[in-house]
Formats: sequence, C-alpha cells, structure tokens
Amino acid sequence: NPIVLDLAYNMIEFPDIENRM
Amino acid sequence: ALEDLFTTLNRHIQASAFDNVVKFTDQILAIAPDDEDALRCKVVALIKNDHVEDALSAIKSSRKQLDDFHFFKAYCLYRQNKLDEALESLKRQARNDETMLLECQILYRLGKMDACIDIYQKLQNSKVDNMEINSVAALVMAGRSSE
Ligand SMILES: [K+]
Repeated sequence: NPIVLDLAYNMIEFPDIENRM
Repeated sequence: ALEDLFTTLNRHIQASAFDNVVKFTDQILAIAPDDEDALRCKVVALIKNDHVEDALSAIKSSRKQLDDFHFFKAYCLYRQNKLDEALESLKRQARNDETMLLECQILYRLGKMDACIDIYQKLQNSKVDNMEINSVAALVMAGRSSE
C-alpha cells in the first residue's frame, strides 16, 4: 500500500501563551 | 504566580519537553482548573507524546469543554482506530483545514477513497506540506492514479 502521512498530527499546535507570561 | 508557571511552561513547549509541559499544566490547573490555555497545552502535549488515552481522559474529565476539543478527541479516536466515533466527534467541530485533513485520513482508513479525494481537492489551495503524498495514495487506492 502507498505511504500515508499523519498530516493531522502536524497541524496540532500549542496555543500562543506569550500574553500569559 | 501563574505568570511564572506560564513562563516555565513556555520554555518546555519550546524545548518540546512534553512530559514537563504536562507537569506544569497540572500545576496551573491545580490553581486555575478552567484555564483554557493550560487545558489546551495539556491535551496537545499528551497527543504530541503519543499518550492519546491520557489525552482523551483529560478531555473527558475537564469541567470546561473547549471549542477544539472535538477535533482533539477525534484525532485520539482516529489513533485508536475508532473511526466511526472519530467521524462523529469531527461533526461537532467547525470545518477547517485541520478537520478536513483528519477527515481525509479517517475516510482513507475506512476505504472511502472517493470521499477522501473530494476533500483533498477542496484543500488544494491551502498549501499543506506534503498533502500530495496522501492525496496520491488515495487516488492509487481508488484505482484513479492516472489523475
Ligand atoms: K489519507
């Protein structure tokens, strides 16, 4: 079977918390 | 103070030290149980560390349910191969590039290649890195590789 990447994983990102520091 | 905890948390995020991210989000949540940033950081760190069961528990046990929790939940269920449940969870989430990419991956695993390809075509202008690898895979599996 062809290769499939977990692109959804790459889209999961931490929120920007700069304004909380 | 909360600011100091967030400063340390940010350092661990930048270092991709996901165990420490979870540890510090727990400290923040002990003080501020409904803090949205801390909740989101915790769930993301657990997912990034491949602890999808713990991520699901964190989502379930949270008193506060965030907008994107349905997406995170769907992703965890996808990782557990609970594909129908994952699609159900995605339906509760506003559609965007992320949800559509995940939907494609779920449909691919379900063998629903035509539906999968339709969504990849909708995503074509969104400049997702390496997306053609997955869309070509779906075309091959659908017997449509000439496209
Ligand atoms: K796919």
